[in-house]
This record gives sequence, C-alpha cells and structure tokens, in this order.
Amino acid sequence: MKLLEHEAKTLLAAANIPIPASLLVTKYNPVLPEVPIVLKSQVPTGGRGKAGGIIVVEEINNLQPSIQALFDLEIKGFTPKTLLAEEKLNIAKELYISLLIDRASSAVQLIAHINGGIEVEDNKNFKTWSLNNPNFDVIGQELADYYQLPGQTFVIQDLIQNLYKCFIKNDATLIEINPLILTTNGNLIAGDCKITLDDAAAFRHDWNFEDKPAEANFVTINPTGNIATIANGAGLAMATVDAAFEAGLQPANFLDIGGGANTETLLKAFNRIVQYQNVQAIIINIFAGITRADEVAKAIVAAKEQIPHLPPLFIRLAGTNHDAAVKILTDKGIVIMPNLQACLVAAKEVVHG
Amino acid sequence: MVNIFQGENVMVQGITGAHGSFQAKAMQAAGTNVVAGTTPGKAGQQVDGIKVYDTVKDIQKDYTVNTTVIFVPARFAKAAILEAIEAQVPLIICITEGIPVHDMLIVRKRLQTSSSTLLGPNSPGALLPGVSKLGIIPATMSLPGNAAIVSRSGTLTYETMAGLTEKGIGQKYVIGIGGDVIHGMGYIECLQLFQADPDVDTIILIGEIGGQDEIVAADFIQKCITKPVFAYIAGHHAPEGVQLGHAGAILGSDAESASAKTEKLSDAGAITATSITELLNKIV
Repeated sequence: MKLLEHEAKTLLAAANIPIPASLLVTKYNPVLPEVPIVLKSQVPTGGRGKAGGIIVVEEINNLQPSIQALFDLEIKGFTPKTLLAEEKLNIAKELYISLLIDRASSAVQLIAHINGGIEVEDNKNFKTWSLNNPNFDVIGQELADYYQLPGQTFVIQDLIQNLYKCFIKNDATLIEINPLILTTNGNLIAGDCKITLDDAAAFRHDWNFEDKPAEANFVTINPTGNIATIANGAGLAMATVDAAFEAGLQPANFLDIGGGANTETLLKAFNRIVQYQNVQAIIINIFAGITRADEVAKAIVAAKEQIPHLPPLFIRLAGTNHDAAVKILTDKGIVIMPNLQACLVAAKEVVHG
Repeated sequence: MVNIFQGENVMVQGITGAHGSFQAKAMQAAGTNVVAGTTPGKAGQQVDGIKVYDTVKDIQKDYTVNTTVIFVPARFAKAAILEAIEAQVPLIICITEGIPVHDMLIVRKRLQTSSSTLLGPNSPGALLPGVSKLGIIPATMSLPGNAAIVSRSGTLTYETMAGLTEKGIGQKYVIGIGGDVIHGMGYIECLQLFQADPDVDTIILIGEIGGQDEIVAADFIQKCITKPVFAYIAGHHAPEGVQLGHAGAILGSDAESASAKTEKLSDAGAITATSITELLNKIV
C-alpha cells in the first residue's frame, strides 16, 4: 500500500523525523495558508513536480487561483483530494536517503546519495548499508562523512535510527526521503517522502489511509482487452496471460482465484469481467491440485446461470476429479477443452470472427 | 549423501486446521510417515489417528522429528517457524501464504545461527514421487523418475509435473521454493542438490517476474551445472509495479522482467520457452 506524501510525513513526524511546518488544504477547507507557501498536489504517483503538481506561491493574490489550478490538474490519471501546503524552506543542499527490503540479502538496506532531488534516478554509485544487526553510531558517522556534513554526525545518527524505527514499527517495505533537505540554517528536513506499507501486515495495524491494500489477485492489464482470463495460482494465472498474448489475443486481466474456487468467487469474477466492454470470450484455466475439478465445474455452472449475458467460456480443467468435472459441464452443454491451446484457438475464432 | 527430503518422522504444525488435517492425511496416503502434529491447547486429541501435541518440544519427547510442515494461519506463522527453529527441526517447510515480510526478516535472522533448513513460506512443499510428500503437491499426478523441478509457483509446478508425467517422463524431485519476497531455500540450493544427485538427468526451473533470484540462478547454471536445464519465466506481459498474486511477483526494474530473466537463462545454456506448453514440448 502506497501512502500519500502527507500521510507518509505524519508517520515520519511520529518517529521524530523533522518535516516542514504544514497545513492540509481540502476543497472545502476555508483555512488558507500564509504566503510564501509551497502547494503540493497529493496524488498517488511519481513525477508530480515535472507535471506541474507543485506550485510555490509568493503573492497572496495568486493563492486561491493556484489552489484551484492544482485541484483541477490531472496527473497520470489522478486528481488530488487534498493539497499539502508547506513552509518554503531555504535550501542549501538536497540529499537522498531511503530504507527498503533487499531481497538478495534478506535484510533492510539503507541507500544514500549526496545528490538528491528529482533527477535522482540518473545518479550512479549509490551508497548502501545493510541494516542486519545495525550499529547506528558507526553507520551514522560514515553517512555524515559521505554527505560531507561531519558537523551533523549526531543529527544523522539520530535520523537513521528514527527512520529504522519508523520502518519496523509501521511494517514498511519502503521509506524514501527525496530530497532530504539541508536548510541554510543547518537543519535536516524531509522535503518529500514516499512510504509503502506491507499489505500482509494490515491485520496488526489500525491503518486508515486514502489508498487501500491492493487487490493482488485481480489485476487489470488492459481495460479494452478482448478476452478475460481466470486461473488458479499466481504462476498459472501469469502463464495463462502469457499464452494468450502469444496467441495474438489481448487479455484484459490477470485473475488468480486461488485454492478455494467456489460459486461465490466465480460469480464475483464474472461480475467484474462483464464490466470490460470489449471482452468477447473468457478463458478459464484451472489445474486442480488441492482444489477439486468437479467442485470448480459445479461453481462455473452455478455462476454462469446467474449472469445472463456472459461471453462464451473456454474452459480447461485438469487434475483431481477431472472426469466428474467433464460430466457436470457437458450435461449443461458447456464444452471443456482438452488443453489451454485449444481454448486460445477457439477464443481467437470468436474474437476475430 | 543424506537426502533431507526423505520424509522420515514428519510432523505437522497446525494439524487440527482444515488444511493441516486434510493434507496430513494426503501425505500419509502418499507414503510419508507423519508421526504427530501440534495445535496449542489441543494436546491429547487425534486427527485421523495422528496424535496432537501442544508444542514441537512435546512431540520430541516421544519422537525424533526430521521434518515439520507448517499450515498455521499467516499471523501465527512467524511464531510457528521460530518454534521449529528453536526445537532444531532439521527441515522446516512452511506452506502458509501472506506472512508479513518483517516477520520473515526476523525468521531469516534467526536461521543464520541455526542448522535448520527452511523451505517456503508460500510454498507447496516438496514431493519425491514414490518416496515422500512434504506439503501439498498432488502425488497422484506424479511419476517416479529422473527429472527435477524447482519452481516459485504452486499450480504451475503441478502443471509442469503433470505434463511430464503425461509424456512418460518421471520425476525424482518436485520442489516449490515459494512466491514470497523473503524465503528460505532458493534455486541455488536446489540446483546444487540436483547436480549432486546421480539419479537426476534433467532439470526444470520455473520462475516468475520480480527479484533477482533467476538471474543469480542463471550465473550458477553457467558455472556449476552440467546437466540439461529447461526454464520458463511466468509474467511476460505483467504491468510494472503491480503485484500479481504472489507477494514476490512484482515487476520493479527491467532487469526483473520475464524477458530479461529468460535471456539470462538462455545465455547461461538453459533451454527456454515463453509458455509452459512450449517448454514441455522441448523436454524429451
């Protein structure tokens, strides 16, 4: 789950990491900030600055029009529900710092660069530290030296320790502060911040953010695609999408219905699929391991009967209790295909006439 | 060489749950010696004749346990794995899906100072057809033989295995390493096992988008594997930055894409395909 900037900064502030003084502006909030002020569109996407989503307002006359302009500005398909109004900082230097989970070392990693800001992706030679059994005094010292801020050693030691605590406490998988601003007064302040939280840990938190845990099992790939796919298991679902593309079809979605393929899950899947305007065929690819093919077949029949204008189904159903499944489906006049390839060929005939 | 997947004296953590009880029975039916299981607070009960204990250590008073298979819900899985590590169970297989990644970081840290091997989580386990079934891979679709499969996916593993069986190609090992970001055993350990086992004549590697594991595996194949390797990476048309089912299946950079991984494996000498059907056609 990705947090908006103001949500991320609330978590930073709670962990004693300095953030700019700020005010949240909603469309109906009559409280206006004082100028000069930085207005930042709160959209769940990157590249906001380059898209014009950040405005520095110096004159009071420009405040209301700037607020209006930002609420109207669509950035990569998103319009903001809120704006963050922040104090304008006097910047001496922009640095980069982030914490993430490094898959290769199975540990939290700290990444830093002396040049932060919007061009950070062009940087080379990021400095990294593993935070497996971290000694923050040592790492903080090294980081301060790297940032060429030896006078800030104590501050940086505290900063990374607080960042790490924030990361652990919130079940984060990414905290990125870019830029980490050194002000002309010598303060280190989080200029912008991205935080991603682990959806799997939602059960132990009282999360109430604008973004909700993403639905990983149903993903739209192309809303104007000409076929829909249903499979069980993430790998098989990906493989089904791959095979459909290979066959020259345009899959609208990825769907892993998991181990418990019952009438309810299929009904839900069908109901979402019929919302895709151009879908003309549905490929169902089930390999019954723990699942039983006959139960999936029953569920398909029951769900199909409840949705009148369902596109034709092309079903491949292998594994446990396959023979019983074939009987259930053929009794209802639903054809079961010998393999996925046959489903794709049949679907192509429907799509391309 | 002692085969850790031999399946002697197996226990099940979470044996009274729906999955635990069903799968314990299926493991027994496939010839695995399931000696006992745990569910805290349910000691003294029985599940299809298998004795239930409160803790792993209680079982160890009566049996020498070689393997534990974990089916407990995600929120209790960290405690279950740590309990098995604490009890020094040699092989710990975790089937549970959806364990918080920070919990797995703690588990990985504990494993550094332990002699236990972890397979999973979010893994279907390991199947040695005709020998042992440690997890949920359907034994009925397997055939004893000399191929070895290692995979990050569950159903795709079954699909590959059943496809081989259909062609009359038997398997010595079918191992799912699991689809999570932080996990135990990986491709390298499995490839080492397959290379060292004289029975294995063909290796099949099934990967996914996300992470660098298949890239590292490709380097290893180039340097250390002399047996033929067949490989398929799922997710050639995955959208960037979106999780596809498995927690680990999220496309970060181009280097984590299915095409980049396929190319790397191909360069390393593996025979690759862009669909499972194509891969199965190439294996003879």
